[in-house]
Amino acid sequence: MTAAHWADEDLLCELGAALREEEQVEVGFIRAARMAFAWRNVDAELETLGLDAGRDLASPGRVRGTGPGSPRLLSFHGERVSVEVEVDESGMVGQLTPPGPGEVTVITAGGPQVTVATDEVGGFTLPPTSGAIRLGCTCPAGHFITEWTTL
Amino acid sequence: MGSATVVSGLVRASADGDPQAWNELVRRFAPLVLAVTRRYQLSAADAQDVSQTVWLRLVEHLDDLHTPDALPGWIRMTAQRECGRYVRSGRRTVPVDPHSGSVIQQPVTADLDGDMLRTELRQALRDGLAELPPREQRLLRLRAADPPKSYQEISDLTGMPVSSIGPTLGRCLKKLRQTHAVRTYLADDSDQRKPGRRWST
Repeated sequence: MTAAHWADEDLLCELGAALREEEQVEVGFIRAARMAFAWRNVDAELETLGLDAGRDLASPGRVRGTGPGSPRLLSFHGERVSVEVEVDESGMVGQLTPPGPGEVTVITAGGPQVTVATDEVGGFTLPPTSGAIRLGCTCPAGHFITEWTTL
Repeated sequence: MGSATVVSGLVRASADGDPQAWNELVRRFAPLVLAVTRRYQLSAADAQDVSQTVWLRLVEHLDDLHTPDALPGWIRMTAQRECGRYVRSGRRTVPVDPHSGSVIQQPVTADLDGDMLRTELRQALRDGLAELPPREQRLLRLRAADPPKSYQEISDLTGMPVSSIGPTLGRCLKKLRQTHAVRTYLADDSDQRKPGRRWST
């Protein structure tokens, strides 16, 4: 077997892998990714609260329980406002800072899903949700939106 | 025009609101997002959620990509971070040792640079194949199938004499190497680690 022939086999093998790789990307992935473009320029004028990666850890002392049921802490920050959320199977318990009355909305790729009022100290509770989500927040400081994340 | 330049053009057009350009970005980079989710062993449903988050974020970051050529790296990093968060969040089903109660660590291979290069190579091969005439594409697809079709099966399917299949296949592969997409991939930079180098000459 010549080296040139071996190289042909190698190329064919990689071509096969490339074609199968493309077939394996399911239609649902492509459709969801394409639909994301509908969010172009939606809420573009709102300040985005970025996800604080360092804070996104399982609760201290709960590491043993990592798995379904253990709460997850998410922290979103902007210049004037921050939102902290603890997520578990029963839903979300959150805190808007600075504390004050306002509204928080769960938004999925399909649009706003549920809105709740915050109490006078900025606390709020939301029902369970999953998938790609973001929170919209209205408070005395204005309107804000968090980064997208996966629950 | 290099593939990096093509990607830059697609990023700019998407930022200007062109849905076709966005769809093309999705077509090119969906396999990369999927490759990252597989490294983290996410189920199909979890992978789809993470993938959607990555694309939703990208929609809002198109304007911030100061060097649009950095897009593949941005996608890979964002997918990687989101997979890491998701795995740590415990939403994913994680095996737990029944005796100690501790989480059984699953291997997460970190060869993401390798993933990137392979994703680029495979995209170049798919693009290169698309440049060939349909007859040649079909022959290559039949032979690249898993398992590959035998010369006899290819002959039955295409009507080509068995004796001519080998030489024709050789010519088709040579043409594939010479397509714009594959030449661009191999010439794009001088990274000798690129997969595919060994069959480039």
